[in-house]
Amino acid sequence: MKDKQHINCDILIIGAGFAGMAAAARASQLGLKTIMAGNSSQLYFASGLFDLLGVYPLVPGTILKTVETGLSLLKEQIPGHPYAKAGIEEILQSFDFITHFLQTAGLSYAPSNGKNTSVLTSAGTFKPSFLVPETIKKCTLLKQSKNLLIMDFKGLKGFNAKQMAAMIKNRHDTVDTLRIELFQHSYVLSPMHLAAMFENLSFLEKIAKQILPVADKIDLMGIPAVCGIDNSFEILSKLEKLTGVKMFEIPMMPPSIPGLRLKNAFEKQLAKNKVQFLSQAKIKSREFNNDGFILNAVNQSMEAKIKARGVILASGRFQGGGLHAQRDQIVETIFNLPVYQPEKRNLWHHINFFEKQGHMINSAGIETDNVFRPVDKNNSIIHKNLYAAGAILAHNDWTRLKSGSGVSALSAYTAVNNFHTTNIKTGD
Amino acid sequence: MEAEVLIIGGGVTGTGIARDLSLRGLNVVLVEKKDLNAGASGGNHGLLHSGARYVHSDPEAARECQKEQKILKKNASHCIEETKGFFVGVKGDDWNYIQDFSQMCKKSGIESKAIDLKDAMEMEPSLSKDLVAAYEVNDASINPFKLSIENINDAVSSGSSYLTHTKIESFKIENRQIVYAVVRNTISGESIKIRAKTYVNAGGAWAKNIAAMAGIPINMVFSKGSLLVTNKRITQRVINRLRLPTDGDILVPGGVVSILGTTSERSKNLDNIHPTINEVDHIIEQGIQMIPALKESRFIRAYAGVRPLVSLGNDKDDRNLSRGFTLIDHAESEHENEQIDNFITITGGKLSTYRLMAEKTSDIVCQKHHLTAECKTKTTPLPSTIDGEWSEPGVFVNDSLSLESSDESYLCECEMVPAKAIDTIINSIKKNGGHPDLEAIAVRTRVGKGPCQGTFCSVRLLSYLYNKGNITDTDGLNDLKGFLNERWKGEHSLLWDQTLVQSSLKEMIHCGLFSLELT
Repeated sequence: MKDKQHINCDILIIGAGFAGMAAAARASQLGLKTIMAGNSSQLYFASGLFDLLGVYPLVPGTILKTVETGLSLLKEQIPGHPYAKAGIEEILQSFDFITHFLQTAGLSYAPSNGKNTSVLTSAGTFKPSFLVPETIKKCTLLKQSKNLLIMDFKGLKGFNAKQMAAMIKNRHDTVDTLRIELFQHSYVLSPMHLAAMFENLSFLEKIAKQILPVADKIDLMGIPAVCGIDNSFEILSKLEKLTGVKMFEIPMMPPSIPGLRLKNAFEKQLAKNKVQFLSQAKIKSREFNNDGFILNAVNQSMEAKIKARGVILASGRFQGGGLHAQRDQIVETIFNLPVYQPEKRNLWHHINFFEKQGHMINSAGIETDNVFRPVDKNNSIIHKNLYAAGAILAHNDWTRLKSGSGVSALSAYTAVNNFHTTNIKTGD
Repeated sequence: MEAEVLIIGGGVTGTGIARDLSLRGLNVVLVEKKDLNAGASGGNHGLLHSGARYVHSDPEAARECQKEQKILKKNASHCIEETKGFFVGVKGDDWNYIQDFSQMCKKSGIESKAIDLKDAMEMEPSLSKDLVAAYEVNDASINPFKLSIENINDAVSSGSSYLTHTKIESFKIENRQIVYAVVRNTISGESIKIRAKTYVNAGGAWAKNIAAMAGIPINMVFSKGSLLVTNKRITQRVINRLRLPTDGDILVPGGVVSILGTTSERSKNLDNIHPTINEVDHIIEQGIQMIPALKESRFIRAYAGVRPLVSLGNDKDDRNLSRGFTLIDHAESEHENEQIDNFITITGGKLSTYRLMAEKTSDIVCQKHHLTAECKTKTTPLPSTIDGEWSEPGVFVNDSLSLESSDESYLCECEMVPAKAIDTIINSIKKNGGHPDLEAIAVRTRVGKGPCQGTFCSVRLLSYLYNKGNITDTDGLNDLKGFLNERWKGEHSLLWDQTLVQSSLKEMIHCGLFSLELT
């Protein structure tokens, strides 16, 4: 028998990815009674890098050193883009809010100098990102480093130091590789398993011992992004101290440890802020009138009837389940909101996966007013207290623009602020 | 380089001829411009026809199929799953055709057995409730990749050799004889001459271009057919629609998946063909009439092949063109200026009769070499090698490749391909002078063919290749991009529902994080 609950709240946040977490963080900090329903394991797919705008225009594929020029061009050319609804100050403010929130939970992001950072990835490529965790930050020293060492672990699939060395060796005097073998026999290491090992001091000492013989010869060292789960920066600093070598983490394919750190830090701090998290809960039914919303949320252990004054729809795109693509059209899964989309499936994808202009389907999503309230075909809002945030927003090809976190942060932050201003501050 | 026979084309026909001639004692070199089964041999249903499909349109082809499937089931059983097949009619299908079917089968010597509708529904529960007729025939599923790998391996074990990524550039012709062929490795750019006594053009759809290099015109038309792969096996048997052959009327089980097809569309293009969204929708809508469950099925990949059809005039429907093969001894050309004594072209035909095509071609080669050796492929079983093992969908590790002994366990988790199997494949590619990149490995294994369509295994495999020293420069990135794009061609017409979710993840990782679109 499932536990049946009746919950009243100011605001229900549907979705527990980055946008949902950011919305819950803001709402709880403003003192709103907040419920979050969704699946936070989506954050295992997050790189942990906070992108603002890395590339614009997509053709020819200009990598932006500073975001301002790209941003003003973007606003002009894609007026429906979420960034067109705000100024750079608002975006920065929302990032500020989130990094402070995470800082209190012990996860540090390096302060921004207003420029994009070129982050070395495990493919040996560089990705532009705006804010990076402290553990990754020292990749900015790559340019001035002559002698480099990249370390990998036998058994950690998809991360190979020789591969990265081959890609970047022309940029440095030397790029050496070090492979750590933990056991004699054959074995497989999951990133999770390895990250947990890093939390152990004797493990760090064991690794340091293997680095020390070459420590003198190197200026900088890259390691897979598995340097502990909690207190990752402390652990990295400890390893640096033990070896005397400056280090940075290299993000790799999911499951992503920097994403896991993000998930843990958010969850920890949201619990402190008394946000009720209905983990894995799915919305089974919903109705709304002028006063607010009544929704039924169900997970494995409970069924909840939630009365909320406002809702933030941060249910993601296809991966998160906020949008669903049928063979002939794209629909929004919870409120059946109108979805901006290409006319027919023929136009969804280009035949070349890496087509520079991106795939048209990635512009699909929910169109909103300036405070991120979904609108219908006549541009009228659906409900005064219904908001959408994050990847579900239309005109927002975040994988190609490298803008996922920025769009999520801005929309979540703006939406919650607006809900608060219009419903609470004005006193009722 | 010298050989007794140079075969051009590494599909089932070319590799089949290589084996046939090697068994008759001739030394053969096979050149393939891309990789094994890159053309129609890799772009088909994997159906070993009982012949029943052709009883109306081409009774001779039907008879050939029926004889050949018996021989192959006996001698290449490890490449075949004896699934049996159904021909099913549903409400609205042409009743005259249904009534005549059994008689037409009999005329071509093809076994068919009427099945009670209730029994048919029990045997294949996903059949439509609108079933009006069902016959059982001897269809089977056959793995064309494994077939080509095993054929070429057997040829190599008798002293022959093959070169992939090796393209014919020109022929040197003197006094009605090809003196030598100039071939170029498309990866290294290096050209060499190959001198042979006889030259066999087994280029499939490309046979026209190859013959043209020798100054010989062949009138061919090309018919593109598209197919869809489901994420799980839907029926136990091959299911054919009991009507005149048309689109979307065959569902073939292949290991753990099913393959639905096909279409027939005139195509001028031979390279870079891919299924269109309209074709995909059409195939599914047709398929649903036999198997309603296809409406909700998850499709993981779509692909297309080009049927080479030799044209004899103005044909309205390509399905009416003979699916029988065309074998031309150019010594006997009508026009004197097109006569070449040591050049043979074999094209057309179908997977089910590849062995017969190879036999007939080899017979002519042997005549030219004044060799009386008899064809052995009719009776000698095709040996099974470890290389062929990993092309089989859903094959699990056997004892010699157990998980414990492998280096980094499974590199492809969807299709359970362990590192040790990759090592075997890499060695065999290298042994034949090939370049062990992602695409070459993908052709020979199930890597990248599961639900994730290469999202994760491409990364694991690439880092494995770097670690083993098979790649040492920046080429790996292009290799990765090429591999993902190749998989993408197969996905892009199927991107809705779960397949779209999977592809968004792929874009998140390879563009969002790795930023490969910017390199």
